[in-house]
Amino acid sequence: MATILETAASAGAFNTLLAAVDAAGLRGALEAEGPFTVFAPVDDAFAALPPGTVQTLVDNPPQLARILKFHVLAGAHRRESLVQQAEWGSLEGAPVAIRRTEPFEIKNATVINADIICDNGIVHVIDRVILPG
Amino acid sequence: MTATLASERTQAPLIPPSTHRYAEVIHRLEAGGSMLPDTPENLKQIIGIYKAYAVPMDFYWRDLLYIAERVFLNPLPAFKYFISKEYLDRPNSYAGDQSQLRIWRGTEKAHPELLEFMARGETRAMPKLLHHLWHDRVNMEFAEACMQAMLWHQGMGGRFNDYLESDAYKANADRAIKAYFKGNPLMLGLYALFPDMFLEQVRQLSYTANLGLFWEVMAPVFFEMSDIYDEGGFKGVPDAMDFLVNGIFAVAGRPIYHHLYIGEECYEIIPKSEGFTWLYEAALPYVEAVFYRTSPFRGTKSYNAQAGQVPVDQADFHYGILYADVYPVGSAGIPPTLLMQDMLHFLPPYLREIYKEHRRGEEDELVQLGITFQRSMYNVTSAVIQALRCALLYPLDDTDPEHLMANRRFFEAQMDRFLRPEARLSDIQTQDYR
Repeated sequence: MATILETAASAGAFNTLLAAVDAAGLRGALEAEGPFTVFAPVDDAFAALPPGTVQTLVDNPPQLARILKFHVLAGAHRRESLVQQAEWGSLEGAPVAIRRTEPFEIKNATVINADIICDNGIVHVIDRVILPG
Repeated sequence: MTATLASERTQAPLIPPSTHRYAEVIHRLEAGGSMLPDTPENLKQIIGIYKAYAVPMDFYWRDLLYIAERVFLNPLPAFKYFISKEYLDRPNSYAGDQSQLRIWRGTEKAHPELLEFMARGETRAMPKLLHHLWHDRVNMEFAEACMQAMLWHQGMGGRFNDYLESDAYKANADRAIKAYFKGNPLMLGLYALFPDMFLEQVRQLSYTANLGLFWEVMAPVFFEMSDIYDEGGFKGVPDAMDFLVNGIFAVAGRPIYHHLYIGEECYEIIPKSEGFTWLYEAALPYVEAVFYRTSPFRGTKSYNAQAGQVPVDQADFHYGILYADVYPVGSAGIPPTLLMQDMLHFLPPYLREIYKEHRRGEEDELVQLGITFQRSMYNVTSAVIQALRCALLYPLDDTDPEHLMANRRFFEAQMDRFLRPEARLSDIQTQDYR
């Protein structure tokens, strides 16, 4: 099996996310033992943000890290476990709401591929970047 | 994003109409519009006032940062509005060729109309001190009133306020206070006796930095909107709102921090590494504190808290520009006289023409421009509402009825804030309200 970041790299659809993880200096943390649950936005999700949004964040690593940490939960949670609770505390601190079970929705994003098991956690692929609030 | 919002406007009615009192406005928001109706005159009014607002704002942000970073705890800050050349020339972080990330096309320098006004004022060229004493200058008191509204209302989302109570902040502030008063036994003695008083002053200065960093972004946004309008670039009010929505997203991640400079030495009271952002720690608290809440302002109208005229809960305060009964002298809301007077100096000719043609012409220009400002801030608030919908909810052209209902509930909850009789949302729906 591969780590979360190795899995994302081999999928080929997470280039922006992986670049953002590096820019924010979170690679080491996400390669740690964890385990983590990562809601991974696809490249199209980042591309849908208005111009400048990602660049401002990439220029400011602590602020970027905060947004990325909102996409990570401590512990490995499969879909069947996630839907048991209305919300989960993210590493950013703000709660991530589970809005719908069918289709499976995390906040205002839809999970397009759930339960990708990795060495150090579980990845759920989402179609939008989620933001605290 | 502009293209995205435009395509979002072609949604078919998948959910029943709203029955809210402001259903018409809600349906307009759902169609990608603004709370302000899309009329050519509304567009002209709001863009004209954005321009008139941006010029003094170009001074506000520079001087707020000067006060937060340099004047700091000066016990006799008589000259805090006498901005240093360094801060007057401070390049805007998001405009001009030098900016790390150039988002707006204007230059990094203080606006020429501002510099001209600083030199001449309403009277004539004379030393800065005389302009100051004659009160012929930019009204920084308005900027400070907005900052104090943010300080006073506090918990309005974001983590800024929590951080001001943290041990890390207290330690940083302590280091800064001791460095600032180094070699001043009197002030250090007072600090030893009344540490909390000094700390509270530093908290206020942290909000001063916060507001300065917020407005540093807004000034070039408004300047560019004025330029685009002059070139015939905006087709209607929704275009102007979309431009603001894009701007909000573009700089959402800008760091909010508070640094103190003593000579060349920098003391980080709120370091950038705390991860505070323009959107969460500055823009949203600003809109809540200044547009909606502020404080009962003693002017032509006084409020009696004992008679229940002031809400018990701060969240119910409604003295911001969205509720203001615009008067030429101080009345409800942000100390409006000061801002209106500041904007009066920089009105574009086409707005002066509109005011001359209506009501009492030049006699009540201050009231008319105050109401224009109110219209323009309903449009800015619409941009914030649309940006929040975009960030936290669903596209307007989503085809899932549950998603559309979530958007509907959000819009209706926002409109609930304008159900109280003081709200001016109904008034701005017609052009007669001037």
